[in-house]
Amino acid sequence: MAYMSMGEAHRRVTEFLNRFSDAISCQDGASFKSLFSLSSNSPFLLSLADALNLIQDAATTRLINQSDNYSQFADILLPLFRSIQTYRQGNLLEAYNAFEKTANAFIQEFRNWESAWALKTLYVIVYDIRVLAEKADRELASNGKSPEKLKGAGSVLMKVFGTLAGKGSKRVGALYVTCQLFKIYFKLGTVHLCRSVIRSIETARIFDFEEFPKRDKVTYMYYTGRLEVFNENFPAADYKLSYALTYCNPQSEANIRMILKHLIPVKLSIGILPKHSLLEKYNLLEYSDIVQALRRGDLRLLRGALQDHEDQFLRSGVYLVLEKLELQVYQRLVKKIYNIQKQKDPSKAHQVKLEVIVKAMKWLEIDMDVDEVECIMAILIYKNLIKGYFAHKSKVVVLSKADPFPKLNGKPVSS
Amino acid sequence: MANEGSNTETLAPAEPHLFENRHVDASQHHPASYAPTTNGSEAVSWTVHSSTGNGIYSNPTYQYDQHPQPPGRSIQDGQNVTSVAGNSSNLGTANVTQDYNAYASYPSSSNPYGYGSVGYSGYYNNYQQQPNHTYSQPVGAYQNTQPVGAYQNTGAPYQPISSFQNTGSYAGSASYSSTYYNPADYQNTGGYQNSSGYGNQATMWNNGSYPSHPYTNYAPDSSGSYGSGAATTPVQYQQQYKQWADYYNQTEVSCAPGTENLSVTSSSTLGCPIPAVTSGYATPNSQPPQSYPPYWRQESNSSAIPFQPAAVNSGDHDGYWKHGAQSSQIQQTNPIQPNYQSPLDLKSSYDKFQDQQQTVSSQGTNLYFPLPPPPPLPSQQVNPPPVQSAPSSDAKRVSTLQIPTNPRIASNLTFGQPKAEKDNSITSSAPKPAYIAVSLPKPTEKVSSNDAANSILKPGMFPKSLRGYVERALSRCKDDKQMAACQAVMKEMITKATADGTLNTRNWDMEPLFPMPDADVINKDSLSSAQDSLLPKFKKSPKRFKSRWEPLPEEKVADNPELISNNTVKYSGWVPNERDRKVAVENKESKEGGFRNTKFSPILQRLSSKTPQRPFKKQRLTDASENGDTSSDSDKEQSLTVYYSAAMAFSDSPEERKRRENRSKRFDLGQGHRSENNYLRKKNAGAGNLYNRRASAFGLTKSFEDGISKAVEDIDWDALTVKGTCQEIEKRYLRLTSAPDPATVRPEEVLEKALLTVQNSQKNYLYKCDQLKSIRQDLTVQRIRNQLTVKVYETHARLALEFGDLPEYNQCQSQLKTLYAEGIEGSDMEFAAYNLLCVILHSNNNRDLVASMARLSHEAKKDEAVKHALAVRAAVTSGNYIAFFRLYKAAPNLNTCLMDLYVEKMRYKAVSCMCRSYRPTLPVSYISQVLGFSSDERETDAAFEECLEWLKAHGATIITDNNGDMVVETKVSLSNLFVPEPEDAVAHGDANLAVKDFFARAPPPPS
Repeated sequence: MAYMSMGEAHRRVTEFLNRFSDAISCQDGASFKSLFSLSSNSPFLLSLADALNLIQDAATTRLINQSDNYSQFADILLPLFRSIQTYRQGNLLEAYNAFEKTANAFIQEFRNWESAWALKTLYVIVYDIRVLAEKADRELASNGKSPEKLKGAGSVLMKVFGTLAGKGSKRVGALYVTCQLFKIYFKLGTVHLCRSVIRSIETARIFDFEEFPKRDKVTYMYYTGRLEVFNENFPAADYKLSYALTYCNPQSEANIRMILKHLIPVKLSIGILPKHSLLEKYNLLEYSDIVQALRRGDLRLLRGALQDHEDQFLRSGVYLVLEKLELQVYQRLVKKIYNIQKQKDPSKAHQVKLEVIVKAMKWLEIDMDVDEVECIMAILIYKNLIKGYFAHKSKVVVLSKADPFPKLNGKPVSS
Repeated sequence: MANEGSNTETLAPAEPHLFENRHVDASQHHPASYAPTTNGSEAVSWTVHSSTGNGIYSNPTYQYDQHPQPPGRSIQDGQNVTSVAGNSSNLGTANVTQDYNAYASYPSSSNPYGYGSVGYSGYYNNYQQQPNHTYSQPVGAYQNTQPVGAYQNTGAPYQPISSFQNTGSYAGSASYSSTYYNPADYQNTGGYQNSSGYGNQATMWNNGSYPSHPYTNYAPDSSGSYGSGAATTPVQYQQQYKQWADYYNQTEVSCAPGTENLSVTSSSTLGCPIPAVTSGYATPNSQPPQSYPPYWRQESNSSAIPFQPAAVNSGDHDGYWKHGAQSSQIQQTNPIQPNYQSPLDLKSSYDKFQDQQQTVSSQGTNLYFPLPPPPPLPSQQVNPPPVQSAPSSDAKRVSTLQIPTNPRIASNLTFGQPKAEKDNSITSSAPKPAYIAVSLPKPTEKVSSNDAANSILKPGMFPKSLRGYVERALSRCKDDKQMAACQAVMKEMITKATADGTLNTRNWDMEPLFPMPDADVINKDSLSSAQDSLLPKFKKSPKRFKSRWEPLPEEKVADNPELISNNTVKYSGWVPNERDRKVAVENKESKEGGFRNTKFSPILQRLSSKTPQRPFKKQRLTDASENGDTSSDSDKEQSLTVYYSAAMAFSDSPEERKRRENRSKRFDLGQGHRSENNYLRKKNAGAGNLYNRRASAFGLTKSFEDGISKAVEDIDWDALTVKGTCQEIEKRYLRLTSAPDPATVRPEEVLEKALLTVQNSQKNYLYKCDQLKSIRQDLTVQRIRNQLTVKVYETHARLALEFGDLPEYNQCQSQLKTLYAEGIEGSDMEFAAYNLLCVILHSNNNRDLVASMARLSHEAKKDEAVKHALAVRAAVTSGNYIAFFRLYKAAPNLNTCLMDLYVEKMRYKAVSCMCRSYRPTLPVSYISQVLGFSSDERETDAAFEECLEWLKAHGATIITDNNGDMVVETKVSLSNLFVPEPEDAVAHGDANLAVKDFFARAPPPPS
């Protein structure tokens, strides 16, 4: 905008104020929320920002104070203006600080409104405050200061959660805030903070989980599923992530991919392998070698895949889960040996000599001596991946006649 | 909070008296309640009260007798709690009654102090308690605050929602006014005396339940000021009320960002300073103002006074300031005034200061008034004139003047507002009163010792060696003044020695000469009249007030929670000589006034001096060692420092003696360079400053943690950083309970030496740990973060690992993590490996593990130690015991030590696995070899035996097979395996903490 007259600027600010008070008086959530959506970069807000640049703060204050309709919301409006203005100027830190004030004032008002008509607006604020905080943190970090705004946003959101978590019509919004909190906590690495929120969501009897909006449920299940992956509680993780996958909007492939990224390792560790086409479809080929290794009993392939994608797996937090697949690979390997022996001599097939396994390892170029392989066999038996026993004196794995290699069938490896 | 807990427990004893009193008061004061028109009559009634109050005041007992208080207080606290609890649901009248509880408690409480103090204790308790409550009970917090009258002011406005209830009650209430009037009643009696009483109480509390007394401050002021305010100008109240409202609004907003409930109390105290915030509160809180005025008046007057210096910093509050001034004026005119001269030190000191500042001249005599002092009327009278003459301009000044009276308030409010204070100081030429807060109630023993000193100083009672010592000391004196000073000091020493029975046992020949007292100081402070000495200093101070002003408010802070305790413990104990000497000197000249003087002196000192402090740490050390030598006396210090004296056994070495000499010499030489006058007190003052600064800084951060980060940014951490002056290489670790004293903190060079000493030391881990902790502490308080810091932490971490002291190791590790992150070089790879091992082996948290693995850089992954740690991790996660014990034997650095701690678990897992997997048997020799019992350097037999024992201890069934080999019968063993209780298990889980163990490992007593 090249030039704007003072009058025009005033007109714009007044228009914003009018929309603001109209929205409140009509309880028009849709138009109300658009007034707060900084990150939407809507032309209306952008032009308002330009207008605000022109007008002095005192004049803005005067505009707000000219009518009771506005002045009673001065706590919301003033910092909001400031935020809109500074956001436009690229001063993200200041924009965040002002927006946080707006948010706090808004929460105050929101509490007093009986109905939940402004819930959507609250969503917008919750979302924007998180996004703004992330941006402000980036700005802080680039200036060599410690980024702490996201943390601050987290505590604001906790407060929002507090206003919503009670009973009543506002309760519906609690899950959305929870999900935003999850995002913050996962980003900050303070995942332990999720626990209290989860407890409050899951123990609430007055509100059935299914009554929350679907998209929030999906997000919630995704994050709690990830938490279960950390805890290596695979059945629960499987349930939650599968839930998320089932209800996720099929159009949003990125989300499905994110879910699968965590669901696949979980499924693998309970013995369920994905089709290659699935991996291809969602571009999850980093798992293809692992799946292959599990099919073939190829330890080298597994280790190679883990090494190649180590950073990736560590970042998404599934590394340890994948690493544990080694035992299944060993099992597969022994099973293959057993099958070969059975072809040669069915009567002696259930006795697998240790040296045979050691030799197989050598072929796989895995450096393991007899003792170590013996130890692995002991662990396999101990974990019930192999039925049978190990005879130390003769160095032989004696397999059970019936079902020597039990399938996991959706159950995790016993520990 | 601990306080809270205890309070609630003591609920039961709530006395019937209280209630009676309550009602009585209520009835009495209803008539008097504040209709603005009835001022005159009210004033009359007050005067009466005040007169009675005065009579009570003279009660000599309360000053020093602190013991009875705690029970009383706890009881009252209990009451408060109950009232609070009930209150949450109560409205209007109910509140009123509870308010009465709080107030009523005065008369009934079991304090020996005399009425005023008693009342205060109760009163005070209320305040004190509430902060606790609010902290611990986030939800109920504001409700709690409401019930108590004075406190409401502070508390109620802050909580937007719940406070409304109260407001409602306020509006309707004649009852409220009555509640407040009750205070008026006691004001007369208790008002300011109480403030003095606070001093005592403060000490007690500091000792016991220290952390949060934020609201206590309000109590004294409110009462006193209130009375005055009420009497004179009702209109004024209204104004003030408005101010308060504004003020509250501001504070309220500040609360908002944080979690409201939680931060209410904290933010309220601290919130005050934040001027910029707009008022969210005012609107919702639509209470009829008329109802308020009485209520507010109290506060405004009362709290305004304390607040002004501290809380209200910004220019916005000018109006506020003025009001404060007015109120103060009013006070003086009030009949309550007599109350002001409370026998307590604080009170007296306050008066004195005012006098001196304003009229300087003869009132100074007050300074040394006798122990059971009758209210010094002259001083009070002096006060009013200046204030009245220039009421508006002096507003700030007045406020500052009043600060001293309420050290508590100042402490709380001053937090983090040093700048504002500066402003004050600039405008007002009377910063000194603030120092008064420092005046520390002396431990009673000293009093007695002083008396004793007089009697004991007769000739013939001294041992010869002592006489020699005296002669030596006196020979140093250059002129009469010094001579006199020395004599005074020595008398004090002797008194002290006599008091603790070391007079004859002490080796006076070995006793280091005390540093030369400065004759001037002594002359001024004790030999000549007190006013003379004090006044010049005051005059001096304005010049430097900027530098000195800052610490002032903090001093008060220190006073409340920390300084006082320090005084009793540290100053009296550790630095007995100097302090006592001082006392003695003063005693000699003016027996009765002596106390006050000593108390003041540190404060004054601080004002006038900012030179480095003499390390009193040393003194303490030598003291301890001397005690150790004579060993017969049962000085408290000794028990404290037995261990240390052992460590300090070398203190008698020639080297050490030389150092001592140098030390004492430097005081003779340093005249031009450092202001000697002060050095005696310097340490006190310095310590006080730091305590204050620290305390304030902490207070700020603490209270703002939840909410407003803005204020935190305002803290000038650099200004708070200590610069150590201690030259001692060895130093015992003592957890700081207060701000560090530079005199006990070692600068970096010394710390470096200290580290070397520890590294080369042959002593046991406990000694080294202790030393390293003290080094760490010194580094921390000086904010030294460099390679030395890294080295210290690395050294300590390694030692801790070797010893198996995981908690200590974890502390070091977490510090190291941040230090490395700051880019300071060190053995970060080594410690990355330790960290990994620690996470995998001990925290068993997958998320942490993944996180720390993800943090490893590529170079790190190539490092031997890190590789090893990663391999160990893999072995552990897969349960591969073979790999684990191979890695165990090949561990670089101290990785072994960390693995050591996991060996038992791993072995047990391994044996469980083996028993499950192997059939029918498994040779013990194999297990021994595989599970790391045997090693290259060890006899196989021994390893075998150990393994056998281990297996048996864990329930394995062992038989001999056909070949005569010992084998584990796996199938039978499988169900019988168990983890035996470790033999050296201790109930609290940390064997290192076992007392027996500790003593066994402690260094041998000095021979």
